[in-house]
Parts: sequence; C-alpha cells; structure tokens
Amino acid sequence: MTALIKLENVTKHYGTFQALSKINLDVKEGEVVCVIGPSGSGKSTLIRCINLLEEYDLSGKIIVDQILVQKGKNLKNVRAQVGMVFQSFNLFPHLTILKNVMLAPIKAKGLSAQVAEKIAVDLLNKVGILEQAEKYPAQLSGGQQQRVAIARALAMEPKALLFDEPTSALDPEMVGEVLDVIKNLATTGVTMIVVTHEMGFAKQVADRVIFMDAGQIVEQGSPIEIFNTPKEVRTQNFLKAVLNH
Amino acid sequence: MNKSSLVVFKVILLCFIWPFISLAQNTESPIIVGANIGNVPWEFQDTTGKFVGFEIDLVNEIGLLLDRKIEIINIPFNGLFAAVQSGRVDIAISSIGITEKRLESMSFTQPYYDSDQSLTTVKGNGIESLNDLRNQIIAVDTGSTGDIWATENKQKYSFAEIRRYEGLAPAMLDVVIGRVKGYISDIPALLYYTKDKPNLVVVERIPTGGRYSLMMGKNKPLVSQANKAITSLKLAGVINDLHAKWFGALAEDTTSTVRVVPMPATDEGLILDFVDTFLNTDVFMQTYPMLIAGLVVTIQLGFIAIIAGLIFGLLFALSKLYGHKAIQVAAKAYIDIFRSIPLLVLLIIIFYALPFVGLSFSPFNAAAVALTLVSGAYTAEIFRAGIEAVPQGQFEASEALGLSYKNTMVEIILPQAIKIVIPPLTNNCINVIKDTALASVVAMPDLLKQATQAQAVAANPTPLIAAAVIYLMFLLPLVLWVSRLEVKFRRGSR
Ligand SMILES: Nc1ncnc2c1ncn2[C@@H]1O[C@H](COP(=O)(O)OP(=O)(O)O)[C@@H](O)[C@H]1O
Ligand SMILES: [Mg+2]
Repeated sequence: MTALIKLENVTKHYGTFQALSKINLDVKEGEVVCVIGPSGSGKSTLIRCINLLEEYDLSGKIIVDQILVQKGKNLKNVRAQVGMVFQSFNLFPHLTILKNVMLAPIKAKGLSAQVAEKIAVDLLNKVGILEQAEKYPAQLSGGQQQRVAIARALAMEPKALLFDEPTSALDPEMVGEVLDVIKNLATTGVTMIVVTHEMGFAKQVADRVIFMDAGQIVEQGSPIEIFNTPKEVRTQNFLKAVLNH
Repeated sequence: MNKSSLVVFKVILLCFIWPFISLAQNTESPIIVGANIGNVPWEFQDTTGKFVGFEIDLVNEIGLLLDRKIEIINIPFNGLFAAVQSGRVDIAISSIGITEKRLESMSFTQPYYDSDQSLTTVKGNGIESLNDLRNQIIAVDTGSTGDIWATENKQKYSFAEIRRYEGLAPAMLDVVIGRVKGYISDIPALLYYTKDKPNLVVVERIPTGGRYSLMMGKNKPLVSQANKAITSLKLAGVINDLHAKWFGALAEDTTSTVRVVPMPATDEGLILDFVDTFLNTDVFMQTYPMLIAGLVVTIQLGFIAIIAGLIFGLLFALSKLYGHKAIQVAAKAYIDIFRSIPLLVLLIIIFYALPFVGLSFSPFNAAAVALTLVSGAYTAEIFRAGIEAVPQGQFEASEALGLSYKNTMVEIILPQAIKIVIPPLTNNCINVIKDTALASVVAMPDLLKQATQAQAVAANPTPLIAAAVIYLMFLLPLVLWVSRLEVKFRRGSR
C-alpha cells in the first residue's frame, strides 16, 4: 500500500534558522501517528508544511494523495484532503457553530446549503455539540469549541487530519472530552497525525510514535517501542522528564 | 417649516451665538476695518506685504480726522456683512455698493465712487459683448453686485450657468483656462487688473449705477462721524487726489468722488435686534430653497466621495497588504501622499492646475475626485488596521479548510474587520461631508456656498446660521451613533 502522506528530504528554514532538517516520513492510509518532542523541536512546523501553511525548502518534496504540495491550483485539492485542528481552535467568531461547520463544504466544495447543513448536523451530533448549534463560539467552553473545530475539519470529508496540540490550550477538566472525540475518530479509519503532550493518549491510540528534537526525527516506532524501550538517549531523557513531571 | 418650530429654532440658536456677540463700545479703541484684501486697487498687499489701496488710504485719512487709530483685518468679501452686523468690525470696505437691501440692515456713509459692472474676457475668444454669452458659463464673485446683477439678468442673456468664485484671482484663472467665458465684476477693479495683461480685455461696461461707500452697523454713532469726515476730505480735494493716485487721472466734477452728496437714509422702519439680524424669519424663508439646493449638492458630493472612497480604500488596503512588491510600494505611496496633502491644496491643483495639462474637470467632478482620493487614502489605512486586527489564526483556519483567497476575505476576514472599522469609517464619513464645504473654492454650489451667497444677497447672516443648523442636523446623529458604537464594541463580544 502506498503512503497517503509522503515527506522526502524536507527541510525548512526561517531565515537562517533551520527548523526542520531532512525529514523523511511515510504515513499510510488509516494510520494514526503521534508526534512528541520538546517545545521548539519543529513539530508544528512539520505538520504545517503538509498543508502548506508554511512553505518548505525547494530541496524537499511533500506528496499528499499523489499530489505534490506546492503553491498553485492543486493546493486546494490538497487542503480538501487534509483537515487541520489548531491548538487555539480558531473558530470563526462571527458565525454560529452550525455555520462554522457548513461554510467550507459550501464555499470550497460547492455543496448546497441543505446538504452542507445535513453534514454539519450529523457531525455536531457526533461530537456532542448539536444543542449548541445556533450559538456563537464565544458562548462555548474551550472543550466544546475544540470539538466544533474537529467537526469543522471533518465536514470537508478529508482523508487525513492534522492535530497541533489540540488539548494544550484547554483547562485540565476539558482535556478528556476532546481526547475521547479523537480516540473515536481513530477507530473510523481516518489517517491522523497528532502532535501531543498527552503521553497516555499517544500510547493508547497511536499506531506509530515519532520523537522529534532540533528539527529532526530522532526515533520512531510503535508506542511500546518508544515508551517502554526507547533506544536514543535524547528520547530517554525527554520521556524521563515528562513522565516524572 | 411652521411657526412654532421656527421659534424653537431661534431659541436654540440664541444659546449658541450669544457668547460671540460683542456689545461693548469704546470710542477710545481703534476703529476696526474689515477689507477683502486682494481687491485691486482698493485694498491689496504691496510687495512688502503692507496693505495699500484707494480705500485703505481713505480710511486712514478718516482716522486722522477723527483722531483714532485704524486697524485693518482681512475678511473675504462675503464675510464682511456678518462681520459688520456682529460688531467684529466697525467699518467694512471692499468696493461695497449701496443697495436698498443692504440699507435695511446696515448703514452707509455718503458714496465716494461711482461705478458700473463690466464684462471681462480673454482677447480673441469670440466674446465681444454680453449678447455673445448665450448658453455660456459666466463667473462672478459670490454675493457681489455682479452676482446680483447676473442672477437678475440670467434669463435675459440666457447664461447657461453662473459660477460663483471667492474673488477675482480664481475667477480670472478660470476665464483664462476657458472653463468660463467671461467674468462680471466691478469695472474699476477690472480696468486696473487688466491694464498690464494684454491677453485680457474688458469688453463691455454694464451700467448698474453702483456707488461705493463705507458700510457700518446700523445707526452707529461712527456713521455720521465718518460721513462728516468724508465731506471734509472731498471739500479739501483729498479724495480726488486719491483717485488720481490710483487711477492715473482726476475724477469728473459730477461724480461722487468730487461732490458732497447726502448720506443714504437707513431704513428707519426696521430696528434690527439680535433676533432680526441672526435669526430673521423672512430672510430664512426667502433663502430656504437656495439652502436646500445646496444641501442636495453637498449630499450628492458626500455620497459619491464616501462610496468611491470606500471602494478605493478597500482596494488599496488589500494591495498594500497582499499585492506584489511593486503594487505594495505603489499603494503605500498613494496612501501616504494623499494623507499628507491638505484637501484644499489638492482641490485647487485638480481644478486650477490640471487644465494646463489638458485635464479639465467641472467643479462637481473636481471636488468629487479630490474628496475621493483623500477619503480613499484614509479609508485604506482604516481597512488595513482593521484587517491586521483580525488574528492570524483566522487566516490559517480558513486556508486550511481550502477556502480561496477571495472566500477567505469575503467570508472570514472582512466581516470581522468591518466591525472593527465601522467607528473609524463613520468618523471618516463625517469628515468627508464636512470637507465638502471646501469645494466652495472651486465654485461649487454646495451648502456653504449657497449660504454665503444668500447672506450676501440678503445682507443678513441668517442663512449662514441656518446652514450651520443643517450641518448639525445631519452630522450630529452620526457623531452620536459612532460614540454609541464605540462604547458597544469596547464592551464587545471579544
Ligand atoms: N514564523 C517563524 N519565524 C521564525 N522562527 C520560527 C517561526 N515559527 C517557528 N519558528 C521556530 O522554529 C522552531 C520550531 O518551531 P515549532 O515548529 O513551532 O516547534 P514546536 O511546535 O515543536 O514547539 C522554533 O525554534 C521556533 O522558534
Ligand atoms: Mg507547536
């Protein structure tokens, strides 16, 4: 089976600062990959390159569903295939919850309002926010907003989802409800790359865990390999630090 | 407008104006003389900047006789009436003709110069007399004797339009440009002005029997004092000497420059108090249609400039934020330049200078272009600030969903930016509407222009006060609305 998302030799510079260094990564369809690593190690940069929120250096290549990720008319096809959920939710504050979810299917996919609404209602039901459909984002708790953001990403029926620390901005009591939604998603066969600090969650849902440091993939493997028998010293130190914390 | 609302209108205005009226009289103080400096050869500045001219000399002679100091202040012609009536100046000079209308509300000394109107044009442009002005546009000074004559004779000579300027210089500039075919104004000034300009020519004397005199507040003690002084000066031949000095020859013996003549009788029937002067119902009713016509022009101009400015502003803001490098630089240059240049300067350049490079605008179009350019620059900065105030995450979320640039802007960014920019945009609209008043300098009949003309013709400042109230009536609600919005958004949803 070919990879749905393929990174070949991806490097990224911010000016002279190298944020990613020669990353190679294949993510198969249906695979759940969790990315862990210290702050500043390039995790966000990595997943933001996949839907070209950041441009990567010309020396590398990212391919999503056979399409080369680059500026131009194919980019919207890539973005339609790849949903993203942000740490800070980024819901549209001037639209109701329902409209937040309906917007992209209508504007980017050209669906009719009725069809889009049906999709949105289904998804809001699935993430447990249907009763709040007519409210505005500011009226919802952080956990609820993040669940809406997940529904919004799913409304485009993407083949893959990128999560950038989806629970880091949440009060501790709301982390569970969001992780539960993501765990459920993991069982539906959608491809996911999740940047997270929730080691327990990673252990539970990941098919593969990637440890990053200083813009490089230091080590990768199954959750058991990474969490129980890490080979690299840097991985060991990182895990020691976060697990004793 | 009915009677009772007029009473309310007057009472409100009284409160506004009262503090500005000076009631004090002091014979020891200098005599303040208001003059429309630039009105050759009556009162103008010589190369050293000193005020000189026939009438300047005359009031100085009168000051010597009365043993009082003379202080000259520069006031545009159509501001002289209100200046005299409010007591800001004691005497107004500026080749002001005695008219029945003016005698209703002001007093004049005996005249010292007999004048007529004249038609001035560019040599060889085919205009040889008033009869050649059928369907042509003519120029006058706002509220002057020439304006009054042209307005009365518009039908008779079938003038296409009377354009009202703020003085000789801009009017003659437009005659030279060719946008107007002739200028109707006092003959002595034009003979003096054209004598060293071979391309300009006074082609017709228009006998109106004007007689110039000193204009003063009604029945002030100074009127008879100054009149006596003029009598003495005539008898001593001083005024005729001034004539020789300024016009190169002595006046004829039959003219009022030489002969002592009676002081024109001020209309005694009317003792004008404050209300009759500033809140005169009859004048208001007479000039009301003119003011409404002016208001319509002001609103049309404001509306066009605001809408076009919004479109311009949005385009320039987007260009500055997201355009290619060269476009960004151009947009920034436009925004910076048009926010720095004073609107009045821009108006004058567009109206009076561009014709020399082949771009000639009508007064309305010139004003609309100038206002739009400036409003567009301010609006661009407002939009840019509004767009930049939308968090980066909103752009990213929209892009990540696969929305196009246009959809991102229209569906996500602009709706949020609008909320941020509505208060400053409304402020800008208020400024644009207020700035339409500057279009008076390009002979555009906006509300202010109509009001100044009306007050000069009626010799009463009521129309100006009424114009102020009209401006207030439609700007004040906007101002209050902005304040409310600002409070609301500060409490705001985010
Ligand atoms: N827009 C940017 N400009 C310059 N440097 C950046 C930018 N974004 C991220 N970086 C730098 O790149 C490195 C990786 O950042 P990031 O991918 O956000 O790390 P992580 O998500 O692992 O915490 C950090 O050192 C960060 O300071
Ligand atoms: Mg990060």
